[in-house]
Amino acid sequence: MTGSVVQMNAQGAPTARPGRRRFGRTWLGLAPFAIFSTLFLLIPTAYLVVGSFQDPAGDLTLQNYADLSDPVITNAYATSLEISLVTAVAGGVYGFLMAYAVISAGLPRRLRSGLMTFSGVASNFAGIPLALAFIFTIGRTGLLTTFLDSVGIRPYESGFSLYTKVGLEIVYFYFQLPLMILIIAPAIDGLKQEWREASENMGATSRQYWRYVALPVLMPSLLGAMILLFGNAFGAQATAYQLTGGFINLVPLLIGNQLSGDVLHNVGLGYALAMGMVAILGITLIAYSVLQRRSERWLR
Amino acid sequence: MLSTQRSVTRLAGLLVGASMLFAACSGIGGGPSAGASAGTMDSLVAEAKKEGNLTTIALPHTWCNYGEMLTSFAAKYGIKINELNPDGSSAAEIDAIKANKSNPGPQAPDVVDVGLSFGPSAKTDAVITPYKVATWNDIPAAAKDADGYWYGDYYGVMSIETNTKVVTNVPKSYADLLKPEYKGKVALSGDPTKSNQAISAVWGAALANGGSIDNVQPGLDFFKKLNDMGNFVPVIAKQATVASGETPIVLTWTYTALADRDKLAGNPPVEVNVPSDAKFAGMYVQAVSAYAPHPFAARLWEEYLYSDEGQIIWLKGYCNPIRYDALVTAKKIPADLAAKLPDSTGAQLPTLDQITAASKAITTGWPTTVGVVVK
Amino acid sequence: MTADVQAGAPAIPAATPTAAVATAGRPRRAPWRILWWLIFLAGVAYFTLPLVGTLAFSLRAIPPLSAYTDILTDQQFFTSLGYSFVVGLLTIVISISLMVPTAFWVRLRMPRARPAVEYITLLPFVVPPIVLVFALISTYSHPPLPFTHTDIGSTALLVCGYVVLSFPYMYRAVDVGLRSMDIRALTEASQSLGANWFTILTQVILPNLRVALLSGAFLTLAIVIGEFTMANYLARPAFAPYLSLLGSNEPYQQSAVALVSFGLTWVAMGFITILGRGSRSKIAVTGAR
Repeated sequence: MTGSVVQMNAQGAPTARPGRRRFGRTWLGLAPFAIFSTLFLLIPTAYLVVGSFQDPAGDLTLQNYADLSDPVITNAYATSLEISLVTAVAGGVYGFLMAYAVISAGLPRRLRSGLMTFSGVASNFAGIPLALAFIFTIGRTGLLTTFLDSVGIRPYESGFSLYTKVGLEIVYFYFQLPLMILIIAPAIDGLKQEWREASENMGATSRQYWRYVALPVLMPSLLGAMILLFGNAFGAQATAYQLTGGFINLVPLLIGNQLSGDVLHNVGLGYALAMGMVAILGITLIAYSVLQRRSERWLR
Repeated sequence: MLSTQRSVTRLAGLLVGASMLFAACSGIGGGPSAGASAGTMDSLVAEAKKEGNLTTIALPHTWCNYGEMLTSFAAKYGIKINELNPDGSSAAEIDAIKANKSNPGPQAPDVVDVGLSFGPSAKTDAVITPYKVATWNDIPAAAKDADGYWYGDYYGVMSIETNTKVVTNVPKSYADLLKPEYKGKVALSGDPTKSNQAISAVWGAALANGGSIDNVQPGLDFFKKLNDMGNFVPVIAKQATVASGETPIVLTWTYTALADRDKLAGNPPVEVNVPSDAKFAGMYVQAVSAYAPHPFAARLWEEYLYSDEGQIIWLKGYCNPIRYDALVTAKKIPADLAAKLPDSTGAQLPTLDQITAASKAITTGWPTTVGVVVK
Repeated sequence: MTADVQAGAPAIPAATPTAAVATAGRPRRAPWRILWWLIFLAGVAYFTLPLVGTLAFSLRAIPPLSAYTDILTDQQFFTSLGYSFVVGLLTIVISISLMVPTAFWVRLRMPRARPAVEYITLLPFVVPPIVLVFALISTYSHPPLPFTHTDIGSTALLVCGYVVLSFPYMYRAVDVGLRSMDIRALTEASQSLGANWFTILTQVILPNLRVALLSGAFLTLAIVIGEFTMANYLARPAFAPYLSLLGSNEPYQQSAVALVSFGLTWVAMGFITILGRGSRSKIAVTGAR
């Protein structure tokens, strides 16, 4: 008590005392997670790291990393990044809107639990069944396409095709959107009604409420959810393979070619490609952490 | 401690048994047919029954009638078969052996059925072990490893599968596929940078367009033309996409196309044609895993596959079994089955070196020639 | 209130908004409501159409409902779905037990460790599942930890693998949930009342995380039921390997099974929602209800 300054948090109450700097005790709190992730995640990742430095004969080499500069591969990274960012932002924005619609915008309460449960199911509707579902709906001979044809609108003749980057993004949206809805729901719940009323009492318009109260409060959660969406799309493979047959260059597909193909079997290159993804994820996380800290600054 | 002791003893026992088997079958003095002697076969069956289990991998039931092969083997010998990843690729099969080296559980494959190019690489990686079946001599020399590590099992010919409800004017050659009426209708059953079947389709296109078994560039050019015309659909064709009409024309092996035709049973109707301008064949090979948890069952399975019974089961699945010529000579093929087999006379079967060269050319050429590398 | 303002003071511009609130009674105005309905309905249309497309395709079988009747008579459909569901529940329990304390501890005591922990939780996205499963098999197929030597061990290994796959979703869900409550105040209040860490976590934090935990549970269950690679290579009788075997043989049935499993998963999630509603006695002090 004497000599130590009592810290105050935003509400003016004293914060929990950090206690003496007993490093051991504090780190112990992370022990279960550390042990579990080492056993079942970090050890496999070590295989990935070590394998990326091996050539088909098993000797150590840097060739795999040198091979990453191949234009086909760099194009794949660029495309993967683009699709992941687009679907993360699009899914993030629309997911937020839909979640807000059923939670706080005055729609009937029953719709909320329906949407949440459906989102749970839809969030993992991916891979071949999802690709097929979209082929059956907006493919060349899809249900919607033939219906539109019958009323005179011919999407495929005006240049639309499911089998393009945009088409793939439309399909990815199907599991990005529910993911966002599920993750952001607790944050929207946390937006207190009193804040809205208080801001209206002070004469704020709806837009000012959003700009100065709601969005800043939500921003850390929104960012966190969007990085999840980014990672989700970044690693997706089965859907893209079925839908594009390798026509669209994506890194998970290249990895699949090396690791699970019938033809190529340069496992080391596959691992190096995955390590490239690990590195990109790291960079994205750093950017995200910077944004996070800035968005949380005023909350302290 | 006890389990380690037990597994060491078990391993020793297996090694002794296996080496005895190798000595009997590897043709020392008596030649490969020595393995066909009744005594060894009976002891093999007995040991396999004692093991009671077999683990297979990447054997879809509709591929070469493996469904019937698996059930009849299980019924005949009372051995329970554990099937891993039916849709697995050759690479995944080899990797599964490597990952399960010290695993006696059901996750470790006993036998593999892989593309021809994987045989030699598996031998180098020491993940397969030699075994010469009783009918070893009937397998053509070009289709097997001299030391017995891998051996051809069946081959098929590249064909054009057509959903005749959607496409009434059925294409019968590669040249036909370039007709404008087939806009947005032609597909492959895999990605040419990943799938052996797809590479074979491109290779066949090369044969039909002035290329040769050593020159695949015309094949790549053909597909570029097909794509530029808008005839090519990048979707991976499956039974479902053929049936729905999204990929009504598919380049695929005869046996998968005919299996689709039978399965769909007219809903919708499917017609299968070997292209008149190119007959290209592809072969797969069998091998026994060097780390098989059930080595006797694995060898019994191989014996079964290469027995007359097994070869005819493959024939029923529209595959050309590797002992086909020997069976024909011995008049063991029922006439009605022979009639059902698609005409593959004159089909070109590439050698290992040719496969390596062509695969390299196609996998590097595809993204830049045909595929989308720019936005 | 309105009367006081009007009688007691000269024109104060601030009176108008207050009056508006007091008389309107509803915080949202009607025209905006239509917009929200449109957004919601557009989303619903987007979700429903592909399902309708799949349904239409599955009914092309001859006779039309045969795809569905075949499923219901296939014993393996139910056993494999049941197996995956049980594995899913186990994964959810372990994942929650691991993630809630971790996220809580990081937010409360170790904010500087947050980037590292977040990165680890996001790693499962970029480690290819086939690499993960083969690495797990290679590591745990011999002493000292021979998981794969037994059936139960293989299932346990699968559950551990699935917990890893659930890391990103569960951590994020819990983290978002924790943000909407003041964990510092809650912790201090509990500590001053003499609670230990276990009590704080189970009696104070968990009840306030209900919505977040439900989201995490849904996502985890969805992953488990849809996951193919690991279940396959570990030779487990799970749902996705069964589905893939079907797909290569029966095209119409594959679509029917996709829809039926969609529906059954929905039921399962409804079940989880009811389970999660159990603790009515605990009062949610703050944050998500």
